[in-house]
Amino acid sequence: MSEPTVATLLQAASEGDQAAWNALVERYARLVWSVVRGFRLDDAAAHDVFQTVWLRLVEHVDRIREPERLPGWLSMTAKNECIRVLKRQKRQIPSDFEYDVADPTARDFADPLIDLESIEVAMDAFEQLSPEHQQLMRLLCADPPLDYETIASIIDRPIGSIGPTRARCIAKLRAIIGEES
Amino acid sequence: MNEHITNDELVEAIKAGLELTDPVPESALDAAKAAFTWRTIDAELAELVYDSAESGLVGVRGEAARQVTFRSPGVEIEVMVVDERARRIVGQLVPPQQATVELHTTQGVREQGTDSLGRFGFEGIAPGPVKLSVQTADGGTVVTEWTII
Repeated sequence: MSEPTVATLLQAASEGDQAAWNALVERYARLVWSVVRGFRLDDAAAHDVFQTVWLRLVEHVDRIREPERLPGWLSMTAKNECIRVLKRQKRQIPSDFEYDVADPTARDFADPLIDLESIEVAMDAFEQLSPEHQQLMRLLCADPPLDYETIASIIDRPIGSIGPTRARCIAKLRAIIGEES
Repeated sequence: MNEHITNDELVEAIKAGLELTDPVPESALDAAKAAFTWRTIDAELAELVYDSAESGLVGVRGEAARQVTFRSPGVEIEVMVVDERARRIVGQLVPPQQATVELHTTQGVREQGTDSLGRFGFEGIAPGPVKLSVQTADGGTVVTEWTII
């Protein structure tokens, strides 16, 4: 049996089906969390924003006309709330991404089996990236995945910059890993 | 890590690492599921159309109270956060009218009648997102979007 579609879940939730709602939360919680964490809110604020996103969806559950846009809607709602909280906290909003010429790195074939040691090494390098690059990596790792258009909207950058910045992030990760091995 | 790992494998490793080290907290998941119990039916939604915190005005004039405006087709709800520490807000319905205002937080609901000019106020509001629900004199209900104050 295949998984119910987003449209089916939204429809059921709008009719009061708590199980359908829970399924929506399970499916997109990780994605919303990735967006919120990318903005480096403290735990309490991250929790508030996360909850607010879902409270907003409760209100809009019967108003979402294009179910396939739900991931984008959740992401942008999370982004807007994060920025609102950050502005209230009068903190700097991450904005200065570095630009670079396009990297000719070809798309590789991913092996789904990643060993723990590789994860440890990769995360150690990730922690050393700039906050802006960490945010981009979190968005690129969102589950379910976000398209470049949505990622560009979240970080207020041109869509054409995402690919090159991704390549630059990866180059930095490799450099860090190379130095330490 | 060997040098033959592909770029996508590197990204996959970080993805797996983030899921291990920074999972969605259980308490946050529970709160998101519980959000469904706040579903309101047959209420008109007043959308957040202005927030002085968003426009940055609060940052420019440090002493200025945050102002938030919600708008529905029938009524506007203007809210001022007069004391962030005491968690005190005052509000005004536009056009002015006598109504009943409920303050919803994830901790519960408080209710208050406005004065004849549509003014109301709450203090000691629980932390986190809040929502106002207004029962207008004509029997309709207008609810604001949830907003963190």
